[in-house]
Amino acid sequence: MASTVAVELPHGGFSFDNCKRNALLEDKGFKAPKAYKTGTTIAGIIFKDGVVLGADTRATEDTVVADKNCEKIHYISSNIYCCGAGTAADTEMTTQMIASKLELHRLETSRKPRVCTANRLLKQMLYRYHGYISAALVLGGVDSTGPHLYSVWPHGSTDKLPYVTMGSGSLAAMAVFEDRFKPEMEREEAMKLVQDAIRAGIFNDLGSGSNVDLCIITKDKTDYLRTYQEANLKGVRQGTYRYKRGTSAVLKTEVKKIVLEVIDTQVKPQAMDTD
Amino acid sequence: MDSQMNELYGNNGPKQVHFSPYAFNGGTVLAVAGEDFAVVASDTRLSEGFSIHSRDTPKTYKLSDKTVLGSCGFHGDVLTLTKVIGARLKMFEHSHNKKMSTSSIAAMLSTMLYYKRFFPYYVYNIIGGIDDEGKGCVYSFDPVGSYEREAYRAGGSASSMLQPLLDNQIGFKNQEGATVVPLSKEKAVALVKDVFISAAERDIYTGDAIIVQVVTKDGVKTEQFPLRKD
Amino acid sequence: MFLTRSEYDRGVNTFSPEGRLFQVEYAIEAIKLGSTAIGIQSSEGTVLAVEKRVTSPLIEPSSIEKIMEVDTHIGCAMSGLIADSRTLIDRARVEAQNHWFTYNERMSIESVTQAVSNLALAFGDDDAEPGAMSRPFGVALLFAGIDEKGPQLYHMDPSGTFIQYDAKAIGSGSEGAQQALQEVFHKSITLKEACKSALTILKQVMEEKLNSTNVELATVTPERNFHMFSKEELENVIKDI
Repeated sequence: MASTVAVELPHGGFSFDNCKRNALLEDKGFKAPKAYKTGTTIAGIIFKDGVVLGADTRATEDTVVADKNCEKIHYISSNIYCCGAGTAADTEMTTQMIASKLELHRLETSRKPRVCTANRLLKQMLYRYHGYISAALVLGGVDSTGPHLYSVWPHGSTDKLPYVTMGSGSLAAMAVFEDRFKPEMEREEAMKLVQDAIRAGIFNDLGSGSNVDLCIITKDKTDYLRTYQEANLKGVRQGTYRYKRGTSAVLKTEVKKIVLEVIDTQVKPQAMDTD
Repeated sequence: MDSQMNELYGNNGPKQVHFSPYAFNGGTVLAVAGEDFAVVASDTRLSEGFSIHSRDTPKTYKLSDKTVLGSCGFHGDVLTLTKVIGARLKMFEHSHNKKMSTSSIAAMLSTMLYYKRFFPYYVYNIIGGIDDEGKGCVYSFDPVGSYEREAYRAGGSASSMLQPLLDNQIGFKNQEGATVVPLSKEKAVALVKDVFISAAERDIYTGDAIIVQVVTKDGVKTEQFPLRKD
Repeated sequence: MFLTRSEYDRGVNTFSPEGRLFQVEYAIEAIKLGSTAIGIQSSEGTVLAVEKRVTSPLIEPSSIEKIMEVDTHIGCAMSGLIADSRTLIDRARVEAQNHWFTYNERMSIESVTQAVSNLALAFGDDDAEPGAMSRPFGVALLFAGIDEKGPQLYHMDPSGTFIQYDAKAIGSGSEGAQQALQEVFHKSITLKEACKSALTILKQVMEEKLNSTNVELATVTPERNFHMFSKEELENVIKDI
């Protein structure tokens, strides 16, 4: 349930544990809330001058692609960004919450926020909810102490590593990192590596797809490269599917007069009060 | 803990036993019948969960010069079923000195599926071909053998996306004052490609490539066409 | 033939040194004791005609049945030990229904005949298929019907051999009748002519005087499928001969 790294395949059979309770709740007018969880590939590495974060852009609801170009690299502060996998609402709200807390902290301390602070806030919040907030994150940034990269798990545990991946495509992406990562890489090389890791997820994990987003954070500059690569072009259809006017059936027509209450107002010129 | 207590005190209530011999390997099949032709198509992706097993496994099976079967669901059952159908076709040919007609293959498939009513083949089947009068025909099946002859049908993972589109474009459903024109072979093939392109956009189990088999009185012609691979 | 009688007469599964199966040959002989049955194939349909031996005025003639319906498109006439034909006809009917059930089409006449011949050959084996007996069947059958190849007539004997014919006679009068059929038959024979010829030849070879109670006549046509002639219909044909 909690782990989005290796998605557990559901095994067969039925569980009727909650049937009675759910029927009772429905009787009383409660509708079960529906959340959607995104299969995802997110990754990040530390290179010579900073960190590179990457993400795919597919959002799924069960087996259907809900969003073909969503944003998974979230803003934390100008020098810190965070990739999110898991339930879309959870990753978005969590990163926003931490972003606002960190901004207040910045105003109070007049210092650029540190990545370890963001990490602490995140893990404390996630731990408080015992994994029920389905957010698996890759947190990266550059602060006064240099570049930092963390992976944050839904239950609140974190790892500080030079290269990390998360989401259902994490194995595909990590395979690329394990093959080609080396410390102190040049910017271009690092970007190519992250791009290829995300591509591995896009093409080999069904929960991931569409495009590659990148975010490169260095000491004095952050480059958020939305749609860094359009990994999949949309299929081109041969036919045209346009309808003639009047194709939709009109089942009923009803014309109603709108009764208006007309208020007449006049504006008269008045002399300015100069006393 | 609970089981230890139960064992200790001999309180053995009812137990639920799991047996899950099925998997779902995705894939979409589609068949369209025209006046003197039938088109049977499928994608070529084979998957399970979030993984892709194969990008080049067509789910259409040529049964004779006049009949093509589209079959998807649990690939293990698809393999067994198509193998048994192949054997039955040969046996029929030997004992009756003729090829089996499309309608007979459909009837036989129905009995084969119903024979396993209480341990079914987890397979969605659609047959496309030429009937005894030389007309195009499509037969669609549920996994336990219910079948009917239709003009067009989609089956498998993206069937709920394709079927309404076919209803609209071939069946002219929900179109006021549309001129009903007979479906040409070229239009059918183009439409089939287009609906698969659309399905690949939104269904994670449909992609990689599409196989289109066109059945006419002169035999079966096959085309392949790439789809998105993510 | 009877001169070579020996210990090889007994076992149904034992060839004689000359390569013969006596019990099968005797069974074929048994047919020659049976009443005469005739089948004629025409382009419009197939005809079956049989003689009924009403040996006593106390017999109810309609209880003697020698032409039976196998399926809507197939009929069968018989000669020999009629009791033996019951299991064979039953098998033919089951096979025809089974074929329709699995393939949603009418079974061909050849396939029905083949299926019945498989049963006819299964004699002698202790644990053979159900319906098989310890000895060969003592009956010959004429399968007549219409399938996708058009009107068809097949003859099957107790050895399980089956052959397609344009016209065929079996039973005690078969020798004379077959001769007569050869003279009468031509490729463009009509159904009406075939019915008439069948009864005419039957009349020639029967000991009793032919009338509407001591013969059966049936046709299989695309229009009427298997059709058994009623007394009135029979009399209509008889008055022309």
